[in-house]
Amino acid sequence: MKGRILQLQPFSVNDGEGIRTTIFLAGCPLRCKWCSNPEGFDSKPKTAFYEKLCIGCGLCTTVCHLHGGINLNEPSQRAMCDGCGACADICPKQAKKRMVVETEADEIVESVKKHRLFYARSGGGITFSGGEATMQTDFLDELSEKLYDMGFHLAIETSGYFDFARVKPILERMDQIFMDLKHMDEEKHLEYTGVSNQKILENMKRLGEFDAEVIIRIPVIEPVNATEENIRKSGEFVHTYLPKAKMELLPYHKFGFGKYEALGMELPNEDFSAPSEERMEAFRSILEEIGVEVVSYR
Amino acid sequence: MSATPRVERIRLNYVNSKPAISYERARIWTESHKRTEGQPVAIRRAQAFYDTCNELCVNIFSDELIVGCTGEFRKCGILTPEFSWTWVDREMDNFATRAQDPYEMTDEQRAFVRKEIFPYWEHKSLEEAFLAQTSEETKRVAVDTGFVDTDSKWRQAVGEITADYQDVLFKKGFGGIKKEAEAYLAELDAASLDGMEKMEFYRSIVLVCDGIIRLANRYAEKAREMAAEEADETRKAELLQIAEVCDVVPENPPKSFREAIQFMWFTQLGGILSENPLAWNPGRFDQYMYPYYKADVDAGVLTKEDALELIECLWLKLSEWVWTISANTADFFAGYNQFQNLTVGGRTRDGKDATNELSYLCLQATEDTLAHQPGLSVRIHPDCPDEFLAAVTHLVSKGTGFPAIHSDNAGYQMLINAGYEPEDARDWSNCGCVVPHFRKTGEWTSAANLNFAAALEFATNEGKSRLSGKKIALDEKDPRTFSSYEEVENAFFKQFAYLIKQAVISLITAQRLHVEMVPRPFMSACIEDCMKNGKDLTKGGAKYNIGPVITGIGIAVVANSLAVIKKLVFEEKSVTMAEIIDAIDHNWEGYDELRAKAQAVPKYGNDDDYVDDIARKIGNFFYEEVHQYKDIHDKNFLSAFMGISNYLPTGKVLGATPDGRKATEPISEGVSPYVGTDTSTPLAAMRSAAKLNQDIHSGGTLLNLRLNQDLVATKRGQANLGAMIQSYFALGAFHVQFNTVSTETLRKAQAHPEDYKDLLVRVAGYSTQFVNLSKSMQDSIIARNAHETF
Repeated sequence: MKGRILQLQPFSVNDGEGIRTTIFLAGCPLRCKWCSNPEGFDSKPKTAFYEKLCIGCGLCTTVCHLHGGINLNEPSQRAMCDGCGACADICPKQAKKRMVVETEADEIVESVKKHRLFYARSGGGITFSGGEATMQTDFLDELSEKLYDMGFHLAIETSGYFDFARVKPILERMDQIFMDLKHMDEEKHLEYTGVSNQKILENMKRLGEFDAEVIIRIPVIEPVNATEENIRKSGEFVHTYLPKAKMELLPYHKFGFGKYEALGMELPNEDFSAPSEERMEAFRSILEEIGVEVVSYR
Repeated sequence: MSATPRVERIRLNYVNSKPAISYERARIWTESHKRTEGQPVAIRRAQAFYDTCNELCVNIFSDELIVGCTGEFRKCGILTPEFSWTWVDREMDNFATRAQDPYEMTDEQRAFVRKEIFPYWEHKSLEEAFLAQTSEETKRVAVDTGFVDTDSKWRQAVGEITADYQDVLFKKGFGGIKKEAEAYLAELDAASLDGMEKMEFYRSIVLVCDGIIRLANRYAEKAREMAAEEADETRKAELLQIAEVCDVVPENPPKSFREAIQFMWFTQLGGILSENPLAWNPGRFDQYMYPYYKADVDAGVLTKEDALELIECLWLKLSEWVWTISANTADFFAGYNQFQNLTVGGRTRDGKDATNELSYLCLQATEDTLAHQPGLSVRIHPDCPDEFLAAVTHLVSKGTGFPAIHSDNAGYQMLINAGYEPEDARDWSNCGCVVPHFRKTGEWTSAANLNFAAALEFATNEGKSRLSGKKIALDEKDPRTFSSYEEVENAFFKQFAYLIKQAVISLITAQRLHVEMVPRPFMSACIEDCMKNGKDLTKGGAKYNIGPVITGIGIAVVANSLAVIKKLVFEEKSVTMAEIIDAIDHNWEGYDELRAKAQAVPKYGNDDDYVDDIARKIGNFFYEEVHQYKDIHDKNFLSAFMGISNYLPTGKVLGATPDGRKATEPISEGVSPYVGTDTSTPLAAMRSAAKLNQDIHSGGTLLNLRLNQDLVATKRGQANLGAMIQSYFALGAFHVQFNTVSTETLRKAQAHPEDYKDLLVRVAGYSTQFVNLSKSMQDSIIARNAHETF
């Protein structure tokens, strides 16, 4: 089966145990205002243009079947582009880059298994991420089944916004499940991510049904959710419904901002920032006081 | 920070003082030779060694526990005019100011050596004999060219020996070896050529044993004299203890850890005074020292802390003497490096894990002292204890470039392939930088540097140098008329084989001259089978004689360049051969678009078979071609992809290359990707390098990777690094080393060297102080691609 991915990232070490390859799957029902992978909002093939790398050679224009120009970020060009990626393939400076590509599950398997020795030695494996990893449910089902049958250690990073019954067989194959808890307040959650947190919280409660190790993650962002109250409520929720689950606090970062520009998208205009290391430490203490084990994959 | 204030004081002196040249050894050596004219050469050299031990100044410097120096200075280089004096004569006026590895030398010293020492050696040195016997054709390719270089084998002594402490030195002491030699002499007579030659050999052994014992006795006397005058009671006691130790070793087997360390240093010193060697290796220190450590600790006469202090004192001793080399050689072996390789970990002769407490203390000593010597190597086997691997990656995270990390299995396999018995192969240690080696061996491990990219240049420039326009190698057709990729590849292989042949010719010439001119009685005394066979090392006296190693440089540049020609010219047909040749003839100037296209072709180091297959083919051809030649002992020549700093001088002599590299820029080192082109992940770089059938290159292989320091800052990051290393080795690779200093730190060190005098970095196969590298060398280290993200 074919699916759409943002990229394969070999040598990931912050997305679960050991050395891993992270498979970023395209498409996401949320619209988090701080999103660092905006290319994954939908699964439409698209091509990024990094203007600073461009030397203006024009090779890309010679292969464009729509007769587009060099600057993909002009709104008219962007509107016309169908993301076929021919320009990215010929660009000598990697100024154009395929951001969403269609791939066979088997191709992904061939590619990720190359590093099996590295996974085995480090206790690592494969992590599904996104976008929202579960959005292409059938594709993930096939892909995770193939990799499960090969004996790889599997992990998933998910927003928790999915149809539980449909995703359940996938989660059963996982060794580790990372689920985000972006805000305990339903209104705020809706405001910042575009969806209510009800479905997420319901799904989260049921993670105890699986054998997998569960880690609930909070992307800690000023001024969105970096309050003692929110962290405490989150910890209490996790502790109550998932007594064995661990939590990880991830400070906000801006690594994804370049991609907005490269895709001709508007940058998030909110003034987000990461809490100080002292405040992060204080938040971790709150969770530990509640009785939640706090982990870090740094 | 060193283990004790004493070691820290010694360390600070080492970091803050410049090496100075002493001519004392050369003076005594020369005067001795004037007295022994007409004697057999082995006897003359042994007598000169004895005279040196008998007359050289004996200095015990402040704070020292381990004593013995090469001359009057604490940080000191010596001269060996019998190998070559001409380069010293030419270069010594600039010693203090040269870019790489400067030395202090006074006008008075220079005047003395020009008047009293050099004239004697005129027409008598190894270098002059080598040049006299070398054809113009070989000189054009292989003398000071950067295409093929062998001068470390005829301007210098060879070194590249590992003393056999296990079975010879610690068992017998030099007193015991002398007695053995005397016993052989009593049995022999001179009524045959064989008998005569053996008698000469054993007489030379008696002389060198007497010499090194005499030197130790003089240190004992000196220590007692100093003790008598010493006001400080603590130091007085230390000096008396030094005297007691020097009374015993190296004449007798050591009885304690302290005596064993002093024995080791005297042996090291003897080797240095006998020939100013590179790669005179301490070998498996943690193995042969452990019985003494264990016995002393069990007896309650030594603590772990005492042992660490002694080890750190030894580390600084090994770092204080300086290998005196020409500016040309210094470009290849930058950073005052003596290549005294010390190997810890691995397996025992019978195959068990060999790590012990000393293995850990050795890692600790390097972390504490930041000494650039010994060249600390570790052997990692598949079942290596997690604690040891963690200690190794911890040291890597400190950014010193130490230790050099080797696969126990690959090293074993390389030795098996070179003809060793399994038990000996399991007992391997490193020689120099990354050469798997064994202590009962006579070998030239870094014999020739072979510039792969030069062969490509000659293939694509009608046999001429692109920079000078001079005809150097074989005739070739106009490159613009190549009509298939195979034709280009064959042209490369033809020139490549020719360069290998010239390297072989020059090395056989050098080998013959070594037998005639520079036998090695002191080194031979330290190797078991030389004594049994009654034969000097140069004549093949050792248990194993291994053919000279030819080191390939630039495989990545050639593979990348051939991939460009293959893909753009003959597959896509988007570029003509003429366009590529015009572009490199013009150093890519005005060809930005074509250069960008060339740079976009797959590059070695990214796990892309398109180009990695070309690299593998070149590697295999290299092995086959080199291996067919035999040396003077009828042993096959060996191939290697070692590092050293040879990728700079070999790049300097070349024009631009089709991979996009510009003229005179460095080429690639060992099996490492070309700088900045391994843009995928370190895993991909490792997978590419592991494709090269590393175990056939018995002379060793080297992969250098830069990792961002953040990656290994945590225990978790270090554990992942350990897993990467083990995985790389499981793929069949032999060696990897990491530089983890941040680019920012390196730039700061370049701007403010005074604040970074002890910053150690990995050059290639070895680490040295960053501030002791020339600007161009520093730049090339900064340019290595740092893998910043996971």
